[in-house]
Amino acid sequence: MRPDPVILAFDTSAAHCAAALLSGGQVVAEAWEPMEKGQAERLLPLCQEVMAQAGMGWGDLTALAVGTGPGNFTGVRIAVAAARGLALSLGVPAIGVTRLEALAHGLPRPLTVVEDARRGEVYVQEFDPDPGEARLSAVASLGVEGCAPDVVGSAAEAAAAVTGGRLLVQPLPLTHAMALIAAGRLDRPQPRPAPFYLRGPDAAPPADPPPVILP
Amino acid sequence: MTTLTFLGIESSCDDSAAAIVRSRPGQAPEVLSSVVQGQTALHAAFGGVVPEIAARAHAEKLDDCVEKALDLAGLRLDDVDGVAVTAGPGLIGGVLSGVMLARGVAIGAGKPLIGVNHLAGHALTPRLTHGLAFPYLMLLVSGGHCQFLIAEGVDRFHRLGGTIDDAPGEAFDKTAKLLGLPQPGGPSVEAEAALGDEGRFVFPRPLLDRPGCDLSFSGLKTALLRARDALVAEKGGITVQDRRDLCAGFQAAVAAVLAEKTGRALLSYLALSPAEPALAVAGGVAANRAIRAVLETVSSKVDVRFIAPPLPLCTDNAAMIAWAGIERFRAGLGDEADLVARPRWPLDSQAAPMIGSGKKGAKA
Repeated sequence: MRPDPVILAFDTSAAHCAAALLSGGQVVAEAWEPMEKGQAERLLPLCQEVMAQAGMGWGDLTALAVGTGPGNFTGVRIAVAAARGLALSLGVPAIGVTRLEALAHGLPRPLTVVEDARRGEVYVQEFDPDPGEARLSAVASLGVEGCAPDVVGSAAEAAAAVTGGRLLVQPLPLTHAMALIAAGRLDRPQPRPAPFYLRGPDAAPPADPPPVILP
Repeated sequence: MTTLTFLGIESSCDDSAAAIVRSRPGQAPEVLSSVVQGQTALHAAFGGVVPEIAARAHAEKLDDCVEKALDLAGLRLDDVDGVAVTAGPGLIGGVLSGVMLARGVAIGAGKPLIGVNHLAGHALTPRLTHGLAFPYLMLLVSGGHCQFLIAEGVDRFHRLGGTIDDAPGEAFDKTAKLLGLPQPGGPSVEAEAALGDEGRFVFPRPLLDRPGCDLSFSGLKTALLRARDALVAEKGGITVQDRRDLCAGFQAAVAAVLAEKTGRALLSYLALSPAEPALAVAGGVAANRAIRAVLETVSSKVDVRFIAPPLPLCTDNAAMIAWAGIERFRAGLGDEADLVARPRWPLDSQAAPMIGSGKKGAKA
């Protein structure tokens, strides 16, 4: 690991396009733009603008950090595919960081991250202090599941009412936390970033069975 | 003209592919490598390609395909002159994964990026494999497409007609599904048909009574379903021989319709008095021997050369995308660093839309 890693982190897992540049242990430039669609068009120009703010370019990067979700399937793929392409051409590692890990970054543990997953469900992951298995659940069942009472995340308010714990807030922007987490992983080889869906692809086998084949 | 070496990337349906193609002045272009990772097993249980499953696979396979293609060609990214990627039409999730990967590769390596229409990739393949001169007639016949095109230039295609509903490959897949045969339906239906009697079930030949080159295949599928259900109602199932005969009748109907419409397309094409008349096919359905045979017959009747590129370059692949990228680059068309994915992208922008002419525009 180089003494002063330069890490570009980006994320398009929800209705935003976000990037942050870490250098000298600090985030030296960042941007966050709310965006319902158009992340595919905006992501790389935004990254270039963020690097330009710090007088840097693609060739200065030591590593990439990319948000792998959970979140919008298409949005997650936009960032992950771009990160894999950049890693290939720049010859630097791309490190996947989940949204849940980023939300838990630097907060006191034990802690439960509870993110809204829509359809009445939440993404849940406990950190005690190491990360437990992330899963899809319902807020109402958090008490039964015996989660750590202190909570953070977009569904934390409802979750705190069930767990009776403190409602914590992640002070850092998502990509800021992702860059810091990735910096801590540079000392060992990392798998290629892969979308972290936590939800199946919503495909059902055909309802009509094939005909009986007679002898 | 200089030597050009392009990386091609394709992910518009259920094949993740990357390839390297080199074009040297005065020499036939060369496919240095062509990597295709299919997803047949992933979709097998669903009787068709599931877009979300396809998109998930592409996002995690494409960079690996690119590395393999470079390795097999014995090249590094630095040795490549440009990156070409399918930017549409196709399943948006896969196209988007390919476009974002390509943008990342091109921007990081400082290479030009060329967006290629998937259909143009197929339509320009005869120039890669056989050095065909414009204008030539192209029949594109696959699981997602069916159209007759006159290829007039690298960026000029005139559509004579096409399917107004299903593509023939899709009809083969649905036939296989209705008869309990394995996917993909093309090879399994063809194998059964070879053992069947095509005269026992006579299926409709849609749109033959209408002028022009448009085709329709959805009614054929319904007719097959009715014939199957009649057999099931009669004896509680179908025999292996019933199935062979159904497949033979179905395939004969598809071949007959394609033969008749190809004959009409050839007449329109020959009216242009091409110097070296040629009909080329592309797409997975072109692998069907019975269909290929009737197309050969129809074109030989009017003294038109029939060309079928080797099967790996007929079905979805990235060599055709790399080649189309080279052709576009040589023609001074597009270095598009800000390339966007276009799920709908008709090749002939002048022609009236055939399918999906809603507010998002024509599908193909």
